[in-house]
This record gives sequence, structure tokens and C-alpha cells, in this order.
Amino acid sequence: MKIITIIFIITALTGSGISSAAGTRYELRVDGLACPFCAYGIEKKFIRTEGVESVDIDLKNGLVIVNTLEGKKFSEDELKTIIDDTGFTMKSMNAIPR
Amino acid sequence: MTLTVLIVGVIYFFWMPNPQEAPYILDRTWGSKGEKPGQFNEPTGIALAGNEVFVSDSRNTRIQVFDLNGNFLRLFGEKGEASGQLNRPMNLTIAGDELYVAEFFNDQIQIYGLDGEFRRSIGKAGSAGGEMSAPGGVAVNADGAVFVADFFNQRVQQLLTDGTFVRQWGITQKPGVLGGKLNYPTDVAINNQGTLYIADGYNDRVLAFSPDGHALYQWGGPLAMNIFGPFNGWFATVTGISVGPGGDVFVADFYNDRVQKFTAAGEFLNAFGIKSNTPTHTAIAVAVASDGSVFVADYANNQIQKWQPGN
Repeated sequence: MKIITIIFIITALTGSGISSAAGTRYELRVDGLACPFCAYGIEKKFIRTEGVESVDIDLKNGLVIVNTLEGKKFSEDELKTIIDDTGFTMKSMNAIPR
Repeated sequence: MTLTVLIVGVIYFFWMPNPQEAPYILDRTWGSKGEKPGQFNEPTGIALAGNEVFVSDSRNTRIQVFDLNGNFLRLFGEKGEASGQLNRPMNLTIAGDELYVAEFFNDQIQIYGLDGEFRRSIGKAGSAGGEMSAPGGVAVNADGAVFVADFFNQRVQQLLTDGTFVRQWGITQKPGVLGGKLNYPTDVAINNQGTLYIADGYNDRVLAFSPDGHALYQWGGPLAMNIFGPFNGWFATVTGISVGPGGDVFVADFYNDRVQKFTAAGEFLNAFGIKSNTPTHTAIAVAVASDGSVFVADYANNQIQKWQPGN
């Protein structure tokens, strides 16, 4: 039982080690996300951008949340350009290491 | 002062018309958020074939089919990016015994039998004639010509049945309100006379063209010039359009949480809907049955609304 517990703890720690070395979470404030034509357009653009792991839309807070793969970072200008290409304007951004 | 009153009076008279009919009555709703049959995760399109209601269950990447009372019948669709797979289905149309699906993420129109069997697709990603960038809606005329609201390409394309390009409205990838430009068109519809109606999404207007391609009517707020608002005959992002059995035009007026009904020439007739209690909105797509019942894809509440004309 003790061995199983130790193995579990080591596995969990290893897992969290991988997680902490993962990419960045970008929270992008964009107006007009309530319309799915707009939101889906932004999702589609990011999903097809290299290094993006996942995209979520937080309607309540008007945020596009982009999670990147390990080592992938975007500059603010790059993010603005991607949002501009979908016909919208990025109001602000917040980058959080994951 | 007198001039101001006069201007307001003119605006009110011409651009805030009163309903011409009794109010529509909400018959029923069905659906809730989820993945089970009969549940939805963002319904974005709706079409009718006889006694069946087809719904784009967009984030669940499937099409669900119900009877006219909302009883679940079947579903189909497999998630993916290949032809015959769904990723983000949007507005739908029925032509003969086939269902046409505007596939927003996969950049194509997919065509299924009404039983859900995939038959073929037209289009691929791009901006050349016959190519698409996030198609939002589709219509088919009596000759089988296919009309596509090509959202990010800022145009509506007319294609042959096999997808061959014929002509377009709007200027490719150049949004605008003047000079024949469109501004993120979301849907299209065709009436029995072959009139093409374009839901010019972010221009907050509807455009109508004759079968030979000439402009017939445009409406939506003062002068149909991208002036949005909550008044009768005004829009706040047009996301779906459908022609009823009598030729009236039904428009999903998204940010106003309602459907508006017009004559074939754009005269305002009626408006109805359910106000949203969420950060998003209710009426995204509309379809009309032969008995006049109106079915609305309710995006905010993950449900379908069924409305009956008032007496």
C-alpha cells in the first residue's frame, strides 16, 4: 500500500512538473463575442495558428482565452493582428504562465 | 425646434413602423444545454422538411432532427475536418430530399440525405471563385443553383450544383456598406420567384436581388446604411433569414433577441421573440413551416422556440 502511495505521489509530482513547464494562457478582451459568427471566427483563427493548444470563449467576461503549447509565446502585436484579421479589435491582454 | 420635430416625425413615420398583424404566440420550446439527444450546445441553424425540424447543434458538431412538436427523432454527424465531417455547422437549408449545411470551420457546403447519409460537399478553403472562408448560410434555387453566404470573404457566391463559380455579390475580402459591398454576410434565402435575399450581417440590413442579379430592395434602419437599433424594422446584427409559405421574409435579429417579419418587398409586418437573460442572445436562425408556424434556433437558451401566428 505504501509503495502504491509513493508511486502515486511521484506520478502526481511528475505530472505537475510537466504542467508547470507548459505554455502560456492569454486572456484577450474583445468586444462583440456574444455573436457566434464573431466568436467562432476568432476560435477558428487561433485553432489554426501554430503553437495553440486550445481556445475558449468566456462570454460572461468578454474574454478569448488562448492556451499555447510549451515554449510558444505571442507578442501583443501578434495577438492584435490575429484578432484584427477576424474583424475585431483586441482591447487588452493578460499573459499568465501555466 | 420645429425642424427637429419634423425630422423626428419623418424618422418615426418611415423607420419605426407599427405591426400590421396580431402578435405571434409562443407555442412551445424544447431543449436544454447538454450532449444527450434532444439537448444542445449552441444551436445555430434550423430548417424544415415536411414534418421534420433539422437543427445545427454547433458545438456538439451534429445535426439533430425533431418532429414539429419537438420530439427527438434522430441525430447524425461526426466531428472532424474532412468532407462529410462536421466542425461548426451553421445555417441550414433543405432542397428536395437533401439537407445543405454551411460548415463554418471546414470551409465548405456539405450535402446530406434527410436520413443523415453524407452525399457530397462543395467548396474548399480560399478566396477564389468557388472557394470559401467560413460559410455561414446557404440557399438553393429551383434550378439547383447554390448561393453561399461566404462570411469572411465578404461576399455571396452563386455556384452551379457541382460548385462551379457563376457570380458573386460583394467585393472579396473588402467589407463595406456602399459600392456593392457586404459586411460579413451570414445567411441567404430564395423565394419562389427566384428573388435572392441576403442577410448582410454586420451592416444590419437585408438586400434583395432579382434572378438576373439586379438590386430590388434593401431595408434595415434609416436608408439601410448600417444604422442599428431596437425599433421595428431596424436590426442589430442579422444572423439568419428565411422565406415563409406566402413569400414573407423572416429575419433573425440577433442582438435584439427577436425575429422580424416583412413582406417580400421589405415592408415591416411583425416582430416577436424571447428576451435574453444571459450574456448572449436568443434568435440566431429561423425557419417557417407550411402552416405558418415559425421555428427559431435559440442560441442563448440552447433550445428551439416554436411560434404560431396570432388570430
